[in-house]
Amino acid sequence: MKFWQKIYLFSILTFVMIFNAASVMVIERNHSQMLQQEINNTLSANMSVNSSVNAIIPILRIYDSIDYEKTVLTNIAKEFVDKNRDANIFLEIINDKKKSIYSNADFAMPPNRGELEALQNDEIKYILRDIDSRTLLFTTNVADINQNKYIFTYMKDVTPIYAERMEQYRFFWKIDLGACLFFMIVMFFISKRLTKPIDQMVKTAKVIAQGDFSERVQLKSKDEIGVLAANFNDMAAVVEDKINILERNNSEKQRFINNITHELKTPLTSIIGYANYLRVTKYKEDTFLDGLNVIYNEGKRLESLSSKLMDLILLNEDQFAMTQESLREIILEMEPSLILKSREKQVQIHLECEDCRLWLEKDLMKILIFNFVDNALKASYAQGSITIRAYTREETCILEVADQGTGISGEHLDKIFEPFYMADKARTKSNNGAGLGLSICQSIANIHHAVIEVESEVNQGTTIKVIFTKAGACREVGEWQSFE
Amino acid sequence: MDGNKKILIVEDDVNISNIIKMNLTIVNYETTEVYDGLEALDAIKNGKFDLILLDVMIPRLDGFALMEKIRSFRIPVIFLTARNSVFDKVNGLKLGADDYMVKPFEALELLARIETVLRRYGKGETAITFKAITVYLDKREVTLDETPIELTPKEYELLVVLLKNKNIALTREQFLDKVWGGEYYGETRTVDMHIKSLRKKLNLQDSIRTIYKIGYRLED
Repeated sequence: MKFWQKIYLFSILTFVMIFNAASVMVIERNHSQMLQQEINNTLSANMSVNSSVNAIIPILRIYDSIDYEKTVLTNIAKEFVDKNRDANIFLEIINDKKKSIYSNADFAMPPNRGELEALQNDEIKYILRDIDSRTLLFTTNVADINQNKYIFTYMKDVTPIYAERMEQYRFFWKIDLGACLFFMIVMFFISKRLTKPIDQMVKTAKVIAQGDFSERVQLKSKDEIGVLAANFNDMAAVVEDKINILERNNSEKQRFINNITHELKTPLTSIIGYANYLRVTKYKEDTFLDGLNVIYNEGKRLESLSSKLMDLILLNEDQFAMTQESLREIILEMEPSLILKSREKQVQIHLECEDCRLWLEKDLMKILIFNFVDNALKASYAQGSITIRAYTREETCILEVADQGTGISGEHLDKIFEPFYMADKARTKSNNGAGLGLSICQSIANIHHAVIEVESEVNQGTTIKVIFTKAGACREVGEWQSFE
Repeated sequence: MDGNKKILIVEDDVNISNIIKMNLTIVNYETTEVYDGLEALDAIKNGKFDLILLDVMIPRLDGFALMEKIRSFRIPVIFLTARNSVFDKVNGLKLGADDYMVKPFEALELLARIETVLRRYGKGETAITFKAITVYLDKREVTLDETPIELTPKEYELLVVLLKNKNIALTREQFLDKVWGGEYYGETRTVDMHIKSLRKKLNLQDSIRTIYKIGYRLED
């Protein structure tokens, strides 16, 4: 059953029960009050008959005659009945032998009349009886006249009171029906209205389940459902973010794999192509040497690519043991090999290093510096110079490699850290590069919680800064080491 | 052999471009090499080509985009790519490529596919000449110095395979596969026997060379 139907049904059930019970109670109470009043009236009428009889008892004592008594009593009764010209009032007088002295009842007296037994003086008994289709109130008392007991029964037809009750019930049913109908209609809209936001959320949840994570519940109310909707939206936003991140990661990975495939297959195609050509055709001597050269060079390219890939994979997986090192010492250690390399291109290398102490993985830091200097050398013109700086700024240590080479144009600048991205494909390939150097640097920087910044101007040169947060690196790595 | 078929090689890797060119040249195709998409577009607009070998990942204008621009020229295209994904294949074929080759590929397979595509476009050869021999492909007739020569169906097909892969050595297995179909796998003696009878019937003792450890090669 739907929630709105539940609200609808239960509220109607409750309403019908309470409304009916209350109405029945009111009607019944009303009825019993009227009946009680009627009884009281009847009793007082009985008393007045009784008092008229008592008034003449002294006279009757004087005449001590049963016949006379009968006549007098009959007269009193007649007079009383005449006075109350009400067809609904009856009077019966019987003596103690149950013999009727007077009766104006237009119905047969019931055979068993328990109230007549053991009737005491000064006592009025009353009882309600259904006779034929009428309801009658019997009030009975006894009077002692000259040792004779006379039983007076004053009867009142109370059928109208019962009829009144029936009438009230009939009226009530009509009201009940109308009220219920009205309530049902109102309640239908109320319950629909109340559960509408829930329906809305159900719809939204379905849309989200079908994969549209940007869907949100449009709900502005401040009640619990509004809060739920707001929380639901928050949850959807978190899920959407996560999904987006996953998708982005996934597409990055896919691009990475596509690039690896391309970078692996291109040299392989050349190698296989030339090897097969030399194997199956009648080649000339210079073709043979060309072919061997291609096979050798492409083989070297594959070798360099595979070792770079290995680096990258290791960087993504391993935990590294950090030690406190001085950046300057590391750079000084590398100086001879860097100068050797720069001499080939006739480039000067200048060092301006302060003694920055940092938590580092020494070998990784060497790879990072080497890659940056290598890139700077590749970009440099002959007779140019490269400056390597290490210095402290506020809470950070900065490693800087600046060249005066070709520079990187703006369109490439934000992509150079992507794996396999090559700003100048021909140049990169002629250097056996695969476009992985800077992504390796990026990974190394990440391991050290460092940020890389690049400033470059075409034909002016490039400056790369690696910014180490001193405190961050120390604290995090320090804690991590203490677990070891 | 008909030497007039012109093939445009669009491939940014110089080595690969060269090796394709070398392979195509030995079977007498004429080639033009370009190294990026825009260069290719110029070449196609200004030249007449029978077929284009198109690398997908080329600079300036990638293979798919180039494909869109040159569709109106109705030149058969074979895609070359490193990516072996179904999406790329479907995309390439949908754009109107006639075939699709995944790197690294065998030269023989490339030649076979080029030939198939050319034949589909009605650009295939009707006759092949080699020295004094002429093979009429439509009539399945072989003449030596204008004299018809009787060949068994298998001898005829073997001759055609040799002629189409002139100057390229094929293994006995490759011959079996191309002439007899897969079911004769391993029965390389059959190839030797047919080669022997071809040499005799067509006077090819010197031209069909036995290549040590590989198989046979028809040489000019």
